[in-house]
Amino acid sequence: MSTDRTPHVLVVDDAATVRYYHRQLLSEAAFRVSEAVNGLEAVELALQTPFDLFVVDVNMPKMDGYACVEALRGEPVGTDAPIIMVSTEDGVHDADRAYAAGANLYLVKPVDGARLVRLATMLTATAPVREETP
Amino acid sequence: MNPLLAQFLAEADDLLSQVDEGLLRLEREPHDADLVNEVFRAAHTIKGSSGLFDFPELTRLTHAAEDLLDAVRGGRLELDATMTDDLLAAFDLMRGWLAHVTTTERLPSSANADGAVLIGRLRAPLGGQDSPAPAGHGPQAAPAPAATAPQWVGALGEEWLETTASWLEATSASLRFVRYTPEEDCYFRGEDPLHLLRQVPAAERFVPVTPAAWPQAAEYDEYACLLSFVLATRAATGELEYLFRYVPEQVEIADLGATALTRLLAGEAAAVAEAGIRLGDAEQAQDARALLEAALHVLSALPQEAAARAARVSSVERAVQSVARALGRDVEFPAHDAESVEAAARALLAALETAVVAEEAVPAPAEETVRSLAPAGPAEETAPAALHPADGAADGGKVGSRTLKVEQEKVDRLMELVGELNVAKNALTFLAASAEEEFGNRILGRRIKDQYAGMHRIAEELQAAVMDVRMLPLSVAFARFPRLVRDLGRKLGKSVELVTDGEDTMADKDVIEALGDPLVHLVRNSLDHGVEAPRVRVEAGKEATATIRLTAVSDGDAVVIEVADDGAGVDPERVKRKAYEKGLITEEQLETLPEAEAVNLLFLPGFSTAETVSDVSGRGVGMDAVKASVERLGGTVTMRSERGAGTVVRLRLPLSMAVTQVMVFSVAGQRFGVPVDAVVETVRVPAGEIGRVLRQEVIQLRGEVVPVVDLAGTLRMPWSPAGATRDVLVMWVGGQKVGLLVERFHREVDVILKPMEGLLADHPAFSGTALLGDGLVLLVLNMKEVLGVAAHAA
Repeated sequence: MSTDRTPHVLVVDDAATVRYYHRQLLSEAAFRVSEAVNGLEAVELALQTPFDLFVVDVNMPKMDGYACVEALRGEPVGTDAPIIMVSTEDGVHDADRAYAAGANLYLVKPVDGARLVRLATMLTATAPVREETP
Repeated sequence: MNPLLAQFLAEADDLLSQVDEGLLRLEREPHDADLVNEVFRAAHTIKGSSGLFDFPELTRLTHAAEDLLDAVRGGRLELDATMTDDLLAAFDLMRGWLAHVTTTERLPSSANADGAVLIGRLRAPLGGQDSPAPAGHGPQAAPAPAATAPQWVGALGEEWLETTASWLEATSASLRFVRYTPEEDCYFRGEDPLHLLRQVPAAERFVPVTPAAWPQAAEYDEYACLLSFVLATRAATGELEYLFRYVPEQVEIADLGATALTRLLAGEAAAVAEAGIRLGDAEQAQDARALLEAALHVLSALPQEAAARAARVSSVERAVQSVARALGRDVEFPAHDAESVEAAARALLAALETAVVAEEAVPAPAEETVRSLAPAGPAEETAPAALHPADGAADGGKVGSRTLKVEQEKVDRLMELVGELNVAKNALTFLAASAEEEFGNRILGRRIKDQYAGMHRIAEELQAAVMDVRMLPLSVAFARFPRLVRDLGRKLGKSVELVTDGEDTMADKDVIEALGDPLVHLVRNSLDHGVEAPRVRVEAGKEATATIRLTAVSDGDAVVIEVADDGAGVDPERVKRKAYEKGLITEEQLETLPEAEAVNLLFLPGFSTAETVSDVSGRGVGMDAVKASVERLGGTVTMRSERGAGTVVRLRLPLSMAVTQVMVFSVAGQRFGVPVDAVVETVRVPAGEIGRVLRQEVIQLRGEVVPVVDLAGTLRMPWSPAGATRDVLVMWVGGQKVGLLVERFHREVDVILKPMEGLLADHPAFSGTALLGDGLVLLVLNMKEVLGVAAHAA
């Protein structure tokens, strides 16, 4: 395993502009950023890499955000890394679904950049103490 | 342009093409749920991303389109032709806006009005909710501008504020106001306030604020920044926060509308608390609270399944721990179970409450939410319809697929280099000859030749590879036609189906690009003049719906494209009569010209058979223009037509324009080239057989009289042919045979023609230059022009 202590974020969104925006914000805040264009790809990547944070869009082709988060929390990925869900939906039920799926925070798009960075920083503060479970 | 905007423009452009294509397909397959979903998703993505910028009109318009598509998707509406028209018009308008944004970085001033019209049309089928106001939809609309203005906004000047307030009132818009107070020692920390301020997009006004009292001269430190700045901009809050992300604590941003400004002007503002947004510790408290509340939320909805449950609890524990650290507290989780995590979260929340109460200045949470939400008000899909594999599969795969978008210039540059490599390679044959002849070393000569053979093979492969990169499928040229045929057909009241075939056929990008206009012209002609009105067709015993067929096939080094219709066909008698009336043919020809050849009269300059000039194919640019542009590409056009059955126009074009095969010859010691395509034959005739008709030199070639042009004379080069025979290069130029008097023939070479530059650039007699293997520059002749010059000189 890598001993790199830079928190590694996976940005999951089908919109290239949003991915770009998040990448800019997060990499300037000294995060390592990877991207996935849908839930399926995110899950596949998460199987290979222990990310420290996920930023997941809701509405995506192939596998949407809820299903993606559900899959990240379930076997075989089973990650306990923080997950921020980002969506254009702003209904109570949408947030409910996000939390039921296992997201740690539900934000509404377009996400205030500074806030996202603050949250990402706060949530990854414990990342280095991560222990690899066999 | 900032890269985020550039990214958005590129993505939106792609998406708009998808939408267009999807909508047209939907008209044919209106019940294709995946297709509806795909179009909806594209609109949705544009809307979502547009919210990152201050393009409220764009967001509103995409939103209206999205709502309509959502209703179609949900089965609440049936997509009809009018809706499709409106949707296409809306996306066209967006495309226009984005083009405007590309050059000016803002929407055109007409955007609001134009957008409102289309929004009205798009919303009409949704049940008369045609208010263009963004407030009507969704639980959260655009962020409400703050009700009161902070005092510092006053720095912008009363007069300006008054004008602005009335302008904002009229447009119901708002502006973002920024106060930026750099720290005194900012220069020493590598900050550049002026530079930062210059980057503020769409600034309306900017005022530096001097300190209330300047320090005494003795204490004055010229390296300290004592100024602060107030500005107003149309840029979105998010954009500004991004810009000032390194100095958030030095910046205040307020989103203010007419009301707030008016109040400020009326002096009410002083009484009310500051409504601007402060970036700093207060927000950390907000974030912490949001995370803790979310943690409780997750814990209240834990699943039964053990593994999934454990991952959730553990993640919440981590989140709560993070929050605790950020707040400078320690938390213990004795049991690492849901209960202890929940207890910790509640304890932290309580601690936060007390801390926040102590700080009254913290903006109300409600305001914070509103602000972070922003203009996207979505009725996005809530059902797991997104799980449809759909055509979104292609979309999802796109990023992952190994396709590279490369700038054209780079490919052109590669091609140039291949050309240069060819030249350098060809030099080896000269070197080999020189080794043998000048130095008498045949072994070395042979080795060089072997080396040449190896290089030649590689160079050829390289050239083929680069040419392959330049190849594009014909679908690029065909892409616009479904739309064009549909729109024109509707406009002309004709029912037409477009069938395309062979879109996968590849051709050089230059060919594809140059093919666009001629094809549009041909298809328009077919629609306008070829295809009959449905009633006429039915009377003639045809199907009411006409077919226009666009096909492409490759044929050796050429690509053949046909535009065929099953319309009325060309009336040869009418064409001949028209040509006669226009003085294009003689009375004799009118009588004798075979019907099959009559269609070729259409290619004569200035011919148009339509009785009336329509705004579709118009007047002036006729088939002659098509012919001219195709010939410029080195291609040919032919037309077949059968009365009552239809017309076929066939274009034959070289697959690639990059490499031209050139026949090299010399005159007066100077080498010239002509494209091999134009060469008919080379002949050697006795000098005495060159005769004269009027003032033109001619030769008899198997009974045919062929005019002969003295190139040296035409180009005023001193040369008079010697010897008993004359070499003549016979060519096809503009439909007739012409001979060129030549001193000596050389070989044929493949060259990459470069356009003329510098002094000779305007000289029409040359179509370009090419570098030969021995380093000499070859001038390639444009024979049509040479003949023109010769005719002048005669």
